[in-house]
Amino acid sequence: MSQNIMPTQQTDNALVFEELHYRVEGATLLSEASGRFEAGRIHAILGQNGAGKSTLLRCLTKERPASSGRIQLAGHDLQSLSYRELAVRRAVLPQNPSLVFAFQVEQLVGLGFDVQDWPSDSRAIAMQVILQACDLAHLAKRDYLSLSGGEQQRAHLARVLAQIWPKNPDASQAFAGKWLFLDEWSDGLDLKHQVRLSALLRQWVKQGLSVVMILHDLNQIMQWADDCLMLKQGRVFTYGTVPEVMTPENIESALGVSVRVLQSEDTSTMIFPQLS
Amino acid sequence: MTATLRMSLLSVILVSVMVLSLQSGSVNLSLIDFWTGLSEQQSLVFWEIRVPRIVMAALVGAGLAVSGVALQALFRNPLAEPGLIGVSSGAALGAVMVIVLGGALWGEVLSWQMSLSAFAMAAVVTLLIYLIATSKGHTDVALMLLAGVAINAVAGALTGLLISVSSDVQLRSVIFWMMGSLSGVSWDGIALLGSVTLLALAVLHRLRHPLNALLLGEQSCLHMGYAVQSLKWQVMTASAVLVGVSVALVGIIGFVGLMVPHMVRLWVGPDHRQLIPLSALGGAILLVSADWLARSVVQPAELPIGLLMALLGGPFFLLMLLKRREVGV
Repeated sequence: MSQNIMPTQQTDNALVFEELHYRVEGATLLSEASGRFEAGRIHAILGQNGAGKSTLLRCLTKERPASSGRIQLAGHDLQSLSYRELAVRRAVLPQNPSLVFAFQVEQLVGLGFDVQDWPSDSRAIAMQVILQACDLAHLAKRDYLSLSGGEQQRAHLARVLAQIWPKNPDASQAFAGKWLFLDEWSDGLDLKHQVRLSALLRQWVKQGLSVVMILHDLNQIMQWADDCLMLKQGRVFTYGTVPEVMTPENIESALGVSVRVLQSEDTSTMIFPQLS
Repeated sequence: MTATLRMSLLSVILVSVMVLSLQSGSVNLSLIDFWTGLSEQQSLVFWEIRVPRIVMAALVGAGLAVSGVALQALFRNPLAEPGLIGVSSGAALGAVMVIVLGGALWGEVLSWQMSLSAFAMAAVVTLLIYLIATSKGHTDVALMLLAGVAINAVAGALTGLLISVSSDVQLRSVIFWMMGSLSGVSWDGIALLGSVTLLALAVLHRLRHPLNALLLGEQSCLHMGYAVQSLKWQVMTASAVLVGVSVALVGIIGFVGLMVPHMVRLWVGPDHRQLIPLSALGGAILLVSADWLARSVVQPAELPIGLLMALLGGPFFLLMLLKRREVGV
């Protein structure tokens, strides 16, 4: 007779990193970096040039192994997950994606779909949804090399979305367990597309998507992110929710710039660098 | 046009040029002769000279075009070509090494020994150029081409050095080999090149998805779940085998790996699912046609096919460079 006692359900879907060190050729790029990115939220990473933002992102995506430390994704040791398994859980948009071959936009996005097995009819539907989302439908047949910088960026964003796109995107938690790592994704995008895509990201986050993005623009962090991790000289300077962390004091210490914070009537906050 | 239709189209063209080319040469052979029966002399010319030559042209063309595809994915640049970056002259050095040193050490040199040595040198050169031109997953195209110039010079000098210390007998076989061309092709050579070409094609076709991802850079390829390191080793080995064996058997024929993949990309785009098989067919068509031309224009003599391809390929390469300057990639 079975006792049928379920173990207390481990719903730890977070990305947890402990004591990460990254040393290369005598330089320490990351030291004692620890943190916890909860699933279903948008996390921003902020810091000066050389503070270790991209290095942290590389470690968290298993692009480079940290010199020491532990990383867990949804309860699994990151080292124990194969790249094949990781590819369907998380997608990564690098900072300057380079491509000198003339894929059509549709073919480029298709490379993302190739990572998973898709029945051709549902793949065609998902393709249309993603192309619409990234405002690329009218460019589907265009040659990548003929696109403008912002259009190219959107095409790469569409490709990484396709890589982790859920089979039933309308389900309430369709994106649960999926992670998106974006290194300065809004660079080169015009305002209209920044607004459109950030709104869509928020919608998918409500459906369970987790996002980690490196951003430089303080106001973008205020608007888009739930949590913010500030790095300073390779160390985690502070981490918490955006209202907690984004104070003039923290920003001045981490970025070396004094700022003024303006609260508007509709409770949105603007941060301005102070001209000294 | 679907992928299957494109493949069928090129296959039909390939068979047509092969049949046309079969009829052309110093001994007349027409389709009517096949109908009425070949004379003994015609039969000999047909089976021992003409057919091997044309089959070899097709195999070499297919192999060189696909090796271009492989190197271009590895370096993520459409200008990577075995002749330009020194892989072919490395392979030639390997072949001459065996003719001269092997000739002195163990006497008669066999085509598989030359092929093996040419393959080894082609692999060494590919690795060397890769290490020189690529760092952190990014290829410096200028460095790649300049390193190719340097390696071409060194390999050429070493080949010359070997020739100058060779005996008369070795010299004769070196010169005979260097004139290369597609005359004097044996069925053994065809079996060797045919099997390695099929093998390399199969390996590269199996890697078509990771090869597509590699065009986005090593990081992205890794993030898409493909094993980048083993991918690179397999691509290097496959292209070195194709170049090495074909150079050992017929000498250096340049630019096939540059022109064919480029034209196929203009037609169907850079997706390796179609690029690999269509380039193989396109390379075969190009070389069978070029060989036909080389035998027809100055009858009864023939132009060296390497010369003909250089005449075609050189200007093509310049056009690609100019185009590159326009779009800035």
